[in-house]
Amino acid sequence: MISDAFQKRRERQMLLLLLPALLPLLILVIYPALYSVYLSMTNEALTGVAAQRPRFVGAANYFRLFSDARFWNSLFVTFVFVVGSAIIGQFVLGFISAIALRGRKVGSQVFGAAILLPNAAPEVVAGFMWISMLAGGDHATLSKIMIALGLPWADWLQTFPLFMVTMVNTWRGIGTAMILLTAGLAAIPSEVYEAARMDGANARQTFMRITLPLMAPTIFLYMLISTVSTISVFGLVYALTRGGPGNATEVISVYIYNQSFTTFQLGYGAAGAVVALLISLLFGISYVRALRVQV
Amino acid sequence: MAEVRSSRTVLTSITAYGTLIVISIFCLLPFVWMALASVDSNAQLFLKWPDSWTLDNYSRVFNKEDGYRWFGNSLFTVLSATILVIIISGLGGYALSRSRAWWKQPFLYAILLIRVLPSTALLVPLYKILLGFNNAEGAVVRPLFGSASRQVMQIFGFIDGYLGLIIVLTAGQLPLALWIMKVFFDGVPKDFEEAAILDGATLVQRIRRVLIPLALPGLAAAGLFTFMSAWGDFLLPLILLSSAELSTLPLGLFRAFLRVNEIDYGLLAAIAVVYLIPAVIAFSFARRFLVQTFSGGVKG
Repeated sequence: MISDAFQKRRERQMLLLLLPALLPLLILVIYPALYSVYLSMTNEALTGVAAQRPRFVGAANYFRLFSDARFWNSLFVTFVFVVGSAIIGQFVLGFISAIALRGRKVGSQVFGAAILLPNAAPEVVAGFMWISMLAGGDHATLSKIMIALGLPWADWLQTFPLFMVTMVNTWRGIGTAMILLTAGLAAIPSEVYEAARMDGANARQTFMRITLPLMAPTIFLYMLISTVSTISVFGLVYALTRGGPGNATEVISVYIYNQSFTTFQLGYGAAGAVVALLISLLFGISYVRALRVQV
Repeated sequence: MAEVRSSRTVLTSITAYGTLIVISIFCLLPFVWMALASVDSNAQLFLKWPDSWTLDNYSRVFNKEDGYRWFGNSLFTVLSATILVIIISGLGGYALSRSRAWWKQPFLYAILLIRVLPSTALLVPLYKILLGFNNAEGAVVRPLFGSASRQVMQIFGFIDGYLGLIIVLTAGQLPLALWIMKVFFDGVPKDFEEAAILDGATLVQRIRRVLIPLALPGLAAAGLFTFMSAWGDFLLPLILLSSAELSTLPLGLFRAFLRVNEIDYGLLAAIAVVYLIPAVIAFSFARRFLVQTFSGGVKG
């Protein structure tokens, strides 16, 4: 009914409307991503001789990177951080909260808001608040609570740095996990539970045989998204520990930052960045495939 | 039988409430410390009841420190980026929803993948690119404005200037906003536009009269998520801004905290509260959109 010429003009108009989005993404995202691959093969630096005349050094940065114990340490730290906070901490506590909130409970609004509040806190605020909880030896709030309960205290950020950073990131993400899993739980038809009760299933059986399998797609999607977003966490860790003590909490993003902006080795930092980009892309592609996005 | 069941329900609900209370305390405790410390005349690192209640910490944020400037800078850069994102993603999201061209699918996959790239990984090349722009711009500005060129560059510069931070924040938030708007327009029936086309309306008229009014809820969601994420961003201002005049709230908070020899917890807590409040307001509005946008890869 609508003519071919009109259709063609329409598509041109659509492209025109997309152009303001396309340009910033090309210049400020795609081009830097490609440029980082090039940079990683030079000895580019912010200061010193290399800053004046950067040279092409081939794969030298990568050889150095792969023999750098600090780089492998940052990958390990990132792995513990992601698995501990996104996969285990946030998910388990979020799921427990979602199940506990199920049904019409008195005060569920209040509990929901309390659990979501950490999610609204900017990274630096979160880091700062948790310094009060954890830093300062026996002066830390957590230590005071432990002492009041007659339990041993520690210099938390010095003794268990990685565990503490992981816990703080868990704290930040329980709310989002809870919201998404609540939506997933609400999508399970109540008839299924009715039928299970008729058949005499107990609570554990119902959970293992009905809730968990029906929730599997939601859980999988949640885990992929929280994994990729946790890999790029920077401000929280940086504000809390700046990667220390030593390199105990130096996740990959803090490692890249330190290499690039405190030792000013841009080329070397870029090699680390390319590895981080590839890892994230790998997760991203599996996420897009899993989602089977209807675009 | 009935008694067994009712005692079991009581037990379940006690367990549920107990769990919720414990998790809520875990979530709220740091906020309680911050709120109390910010009104305590003698705030300490640890949680305690205020010695005496005072608003002095807040007045110092704005009078002795650069509180107004930090707040103004944060608000200006983040709101500018939010407005830009709303406009660009509104247009682009519409195109992505209505087009049937070959580039539609690759583009959509691309914006989903862009969402997963860690910003620290893009920072070095981004900094180099912006530095190049900045030097070129400086070469033009300096002869033109002479002694005023420093002020000009603070506004329009790409490094240590408002413009640079705004466009990078915009580009960073665009993918999610485009996705939100695309999904939103998919749910808007085409009848209205087709009616407008039959009435002979041009593209601009269609956008102004038909699409903007229809798209308002979607634009609100895209704007709220942009605002929250840009407001909470710490890395970009940390890298892109160095002048004290341009400092934003996260930088103000971070740098006040680094003055190791004179840590003033009351002041720090007051800055943190000032920084937190807009984020919480935006989040409370955005909460209802949280589930729908999750598939676009949003989180926190």
